[in-house]
Amino acid sequence: MKKPILPTLIILILLFLYLTLSGFSLQDDKHPEVDFTISCDDCHKEETPEVTKDWLEGKHGTFKVGCYVCHGDGEERFFPKPDCESCITCHSDYEVDWEESKFKSCFDCHQGHTLKFH
Amino acid sequence: MKSISRRDFIKATAATSAAAAIGVSLIPGMEKSLFAASTEWHKSVCRYCGTGCGVMVGVKNGKVVAVKGDKENPVNYGLLCVKAIYLNRINTAKTRLLHPLVRKNGKLEKASWDEAMELVAKKFKESIEKNGPNSVAYYGSGQALTEETYLANKLFKGCFGTNNVEGNPRLCMASAVGGYLTTFGGDEPQGSYSDIEKSDCFLLIGSNTAEAHPVVFERIAKRKAENPHVKVIIIDPRKTPTDKIADLHLKCIPGYDLDILHAMARLIIKNGHADEDFIKNHVAFSDGKNPIDYEKYKQFLEDFTPESAAKACGVAAKEIEEAAKLFGGAKTAMTMWTMGINQRKRGVWANNLIHNLHLLTGKLGVPGSDSFSLTGQPNACGGVREGGGLCHLLPGHRLVAKAPHREAVAKVWGISPDDINPKPGLHTIAMFDALAKGKVNCLWVCTTNPAQSLPNLNKYLKGMEEQFMVVAEAYHPTATTELADVVLPVSMWCEKEGVYGCTERRSQYLPKVIDAPGETRWDGEALMDLGRRLGYGDKFKYKNTEEIWNEYLTLTKGTDMDLTGAPYSRLKKVRGLQWPCPSTDHPGTEKRFVKGDPLFKGDGRINFYKKPNGKAVVFARPAGGPEEPTDAEFPFALTTGRVLEHWHTGTMTMTVPELNRAVPKAYVEIHPDDAKKLGVANKDMVEIVSRRGSNKMEARVIDRPRKGVLFVPWHWKEALINLVTTDAIDPGSKEPEYKVCAANIKKA
Repeated sequence: MKKPILPTLIILILLFLYLTLSGFSLQDDKHPEVDFTISCDDCHKEETPEVTKDWLEGKHGTFKVGCYVCHGDGEERFFPKPDCESCITCHSDYEVDWEESKFKSCFDCHQGHTLKFH
Repeated sequence: MKSISRRDFIKATAATSAAAAIGVSLIPGMEKSLFAASTEWHKSVCRYCGTGCGVMVGVKNGKVVAVKGDKENPVNYGLLCVKAIYLNRINTAKTRLLHPLVRKNGKLEKASWDEAMELVAKKFKESIEKNGPNSVAYYGSGQALTEETYLANKLFKGCFGTNNVEGNPRLCMASAVGGYLTTFGGDEPQGSYSDIEKSDCFLLIGSNTAEAHPVVFERIAKRKAENPHVKVIIIDPRKTPTDKIADLHLKCIPGYDLDILHAMARLIIKNGHADEDFIKNHVAFSDGKNPIDYEKYKQFLEDFTPESAAKACGVAAKEIEEAAKLFGGAKTAMTMWTMGINQRKRGVWANNLIHNLHLLTGKLGVPGSDSFSLTGQPNACGGVREGGGLCHLLPGHRLVAKAPHREAVAKVWGISPDDINPKPGLHTIAMFDALAKGKVNCLWVCTTNPAQSLPNLNKYLKGMEEQFMVVAEAYHPTATTELADVVLPVSMWCEKEGVYGCTERRSQYLPKVIDAPGETRWDGEALMDLGRRLGYGDKFKYKNTEEIWNEYLTLTKGTDMDLTGAPYSRLKKVRGLQWPCPSTDHPGTEKRFVKGDPLFKGDGRINFYKKPNGKAVVFARPAGGPEEPTDAEFPFALTTGRVLEHWHTGTMTMTVPELNRAVPKAYVEIHPDDAKKLGVANKDMVEIVSRRGSNKMEARVIDRPRKGVLFVPWHWKEALINLVTTDAIDPGSKEPEYKVCAANIKKA
């Protein structure tokens, strides 16, 4: 029996657009090939000093919640733009039913590096 | 393509399942059927440190797929540290051992359980028959379940007739136990974590709380952030992440902080911060051998001026004065400490001196005040200290040396009191020394990794290799399984049920939520198998784990750690119970020795009922430094410790790529001035040498340790710093002085 290609294609395109536009992270981008025998902050304090400084002075830096928690280890998993799923495991007391919420993401209000609160 | 990689991620990570299960919209209309409805959540406890954080374990299709903080648990209120959030990975790590191994022709080879246990039973039987029961030994763990330690105790002490039963809490908490027993007459803290939110001053001594007990640190930091008058004092040779909340840091020379504590006591009295009424009614004084009076104690303290103490320990006199003023002047205060105090040749004394400060100021028995020892392992308190898993103990805070204690235990175990040896067995260091000398011939190791964690390893590795050693372990290879004759693959966290008891006297139930993989079996079953093969089957007729726990509970009845109100049926519903908890309608005890404690008698403010006269003891202990001071040949004081992201010997945390990325390899911290003198640059390979051994690792030139101090986190098998550390022990607690030895460093 001939399979309906067009509807499947449309669904895939819509899915692609949704995921792209919804702000969720995707494990598509590769972390640059670097010396993976060193730690994230060992490299990033030189490569992205402002981000590292923000992090260090923010709440996540205070409690040493490192880059890898939200962004993955960079080698096996890499999330250049993390999503709320990374937040909830630690912050289970802030569980949100997004369907009921006026917000779409934790990051609508909270910035992961500086953790400026509204 | 994006949707595919996204789906791979969803399948692979915990966070996604957690989010899905709480209704986060991943893909509209799909998430609930895919994830939410099929993920079951179970209340449990973290596998790592002694804080005892509650976790919710997400299970789907028979696998642990997610972990999140248990927001109803009063230990952590939903918060987890970075190790715990990856707990879902540890059961399925690539290094998980799934079948028994037996050494044949020098190599560990796959074997059946029956073959492995037959060999173990034969070796133990031969050894006992030929060389007596003290030729065999058990070395357990503060990570084993209470039920497991209980079974080992019963088998070795009750059936075999040897008290050679030890556990790794000897290496971390024995000095704290010694301090609590000598000062207050009873082990474990009086207070609870709930004191943190009521405390005005925190003295953190020998504790990098931010990394070793991160959730406790978060609670302290929150208390301080919300109450700016709250002060945090640190006494530690090294600047650490804990300093982010410090008001004052006394960076002392390693091993010399006893002088500071005496000087603080002297200043507290002189400043009028002593609670004279509390002292009069609730405190006795001792020089360690004989009772003394308050006046004599004050005279003793006169030797400890801020200036003399400052000279001895390398800090400024005004810092000691400030510390005494902050502590003494605060309405309430908590002192917290861990290995920096315990792993010392004078660990017990250092513990006593901390308690002194609280007794002199009356900062005990009231909300917000306590001398509160932080525990390193999740069940060091519950299984080993309470369960009696050390060579001189029996279950329920009993001693092998006391005839009534042996009788009480023998009655429950169904044996004659004479079957229990009245003489304590070999403590940990003596046990491994005896193994090295061929005086112990068979060793059962459970849930621990002594070939990496013992100090001065060169002295003990040969014994582990030469004598018959069976290791019950979830992972292979480890430093210890590599030396074993038999490795038994055992079930672990989430694959078995039982109880953990954490720092604040809280016993919590851990459920079995998934089947054990491969051929793995429960540790307790393996121990009972050995018992049955050696003819003690009638002592191990339990139908389930609950029956073992219930038998243990009968031995807690009427003791200071009464847990008879904590059967499984209740523990399964609540977030743990704090002993004493003598009946199933008792809520547990938040604070001991005061009203509300079911054992408290009288109407006074506090009653240290574990002491014959109801008074706790302030000790006039001498000061003094470490066993091995620095000298011209070894001019650096080496101290070891932990990082946030790894735990102990790394068998669990090093299976998680994210945690490895955070801290990928061993290093030694050296002060920039010291590095400059030696021509050592950041990331240079260096060699650290002591009188016992050496090792090479990368240098981290950083302004953290004080000058003259080297710091090495001890987690990595590839850079065993325990080849360098000293096995000098505290004469009272028998705990090794991991925290200080003399060393040198040079470019490799």
